[in-house]
Amino acid sequence: MAYRDLRDFLATLDENGQLVRLTDPLRPEPHFGAAARAVANLTDRGPALQFDNIDGYERSRAVLNAVGSWPNHALMLGLDKDTPVKEQFFEFARRGDDFPVEVERADDAPWREHTLDGDEINLFHLLPLFRLNRYDAGSYIDKAAVVTRDPDDPEHFGKQNVGIYRIQVKGKARLGIQPVPAHDIGLHLRKAEERGENLPMAIAIGNEPVITTIAGMPLAYDESEYEFAGAVQGSPYRIAKAPLTGMDVPYGSEVVIEGEIIGGVREIEGPFGEFTGFYSGGRRQPVIKVHRVSYRTDPIFEHLYIGRPWTELDYTVALNTSVPLYRQLKQDYPEVVAVNAMYTHGLLGIISVRPRYGGFAKAVGMRAMTVPHGLGYCKVIIIVDDTVDPFNLAQVMWSLSVKLHPAHDLVVLPDLSILPLDPSSEPPGISHKVVLDATTPIAPEQRGHFSQEVDAPAETEAWENRIKELLR
Amino acid sequence: MSTPTIPDTCPRCDTHEVSLLTESPVPGRWSMYLCGVCFYSWRSTEPGYATDPATYPAAFKIDPVDIPKMPVVPSIPARRA
Repeated sequence: MAYRDLRDFLATLDENGQLVRLTDPLRPEPHFGAAARAVANLTDRGPALQFDNIDGYERSRAVLNAVGSWPNHALMLGLDKDTPVKEQFFEFARRGDDFPVEVERADDAPWREHTLDGDEINLFHLLPLFRLNRYDAGSYIDKAAVVTRDPDDPEHFGKQNVGIYRIQVKGKARLGIQPVPAHDIGLHLRKAEERGENLPMAIAIGNEPVITTIAGMPLAYDESEYEFAGAVQGSPYRIAKAPLTGMDVPYGSEVVIEGEIIGGVREIEGPFGEFTGFYSGGRRQPVIKVHRVSYRTDPIFEHLYIGRPWTELDYTVALNTSVPLYRQLKQDYPEVVAVNAMYTHGLLGIISVRPRYGGFAKAVGMRAMTVPHGLGYCKVIIIVDDTVDPFNLAQVMWSLSVKLHPAHDLVVLPDLSILPLDPSSEPPGISHKVVLDATTPIAPEQRGHFSQEVDAPAETEAWENRIKELLR
Repeated sequence: MSTPTIPDTCPRCDTHEVSLLTESPVPGRWSMYLCGVCFYSWRSTEPGYATDPATYPAAFKIDPVDIPKMPVVPSIPARRA
């Protein structure tokens, strides 16, 4: 089912009625951000938006919301567009078991068609860059695959990192970047700066959606995103060498920017409207000097609207956050049935579990806070029984409403680590966390009156299938 | 085509180190400007909320004096011996 490139994926969206082309002349601001915000406001089954007639450009195109709905997410996985979220979760997790899948290398990448060097580069002419939210510091690139290597072990393929980081475009060939210290690129930059070096990098813009999804997934430091993408797409991921830096980048990218983070330099970056629904504030962050750009003819600028959930960001980090948590918890606790950590990138998560004995569910909740992603997220963990679908919020709310006893079922853990972007953290980066145990008490914890639950009438499942057929 | 008039003042930090960042690929459609102090950039065709120093909201204004005091992320490590 692998998509060759972004264009191939857009063609599939089109065939499935999940792509809208806007051909009337539009100014980027405020229309592109507003349209992407609007489609997210209206529905969780919305289309990708392609802008074909951009004020000030001859032939540029911009695409937003490519994976910004459950049908588009299902199509990314090569599934029927009506596949329920829970089924998408289990399919994603199942394919992860095939990791690693060795990559396929090729030399004739379509982005080798055109090259700009040094003073020839003007990113604003190459791509229709624009401001997304009202008080962003400027134009950003926020959906590119950023590739760096470990300066102490540059030949290690697994330690080469592919990640998504926000990038402020500060000049025609000058960028600001936010490499979070805890992320792999943060480790690479620290090592480069300890060595007194710059950090070479490639920024691949406009990709098929699987690598974008995996690049935003919390993998182990030496696990290759390309080898995981191969597992998820069910065939080897095709990559090519970036000509200047030698970074491995997606074969099908629209644009490949090469340059380096300047060691030892920090400069004001932001604010930027973030996935928390709040602006990030200004910080002094690293700077990138761009040296070369390679690109396809008439490259498509693929971009992502981000702001108060839900937006495309929330779809792209929904299952790629839930699945690693699920896999890590399942190693110690096979009773874990499913994990829904798709609220604000896992700041809130819901875990369904078959408790072994009284107190077990609370232990699972606390474990979620100590897996790698949990160190920066998992501020609120809700535990529900194995009979409750954690992706069905009506069922989760039912569990909380009837099973949670505030005197017994809240576990508050003081002053744990959290991502500094959480606006409630105080000081930034520190917060209490809470487990809400909404499972049915079991021995030795005997309390409440749960013995006479209303079960479904006989033949309900058969009727569900019959009604589904009638609705087709 | 005529050279665009570069605004005198940055909408965000009210300093006067504004330069021309770029002009539209199709000549004359728009210009973009860059502040050399706070690196705010804007397009000439944007709504007033992004371009007008007088109405730019106080909560998002930046005082240049505060820039050196902003958090450094990530911190710069010591060089290895």
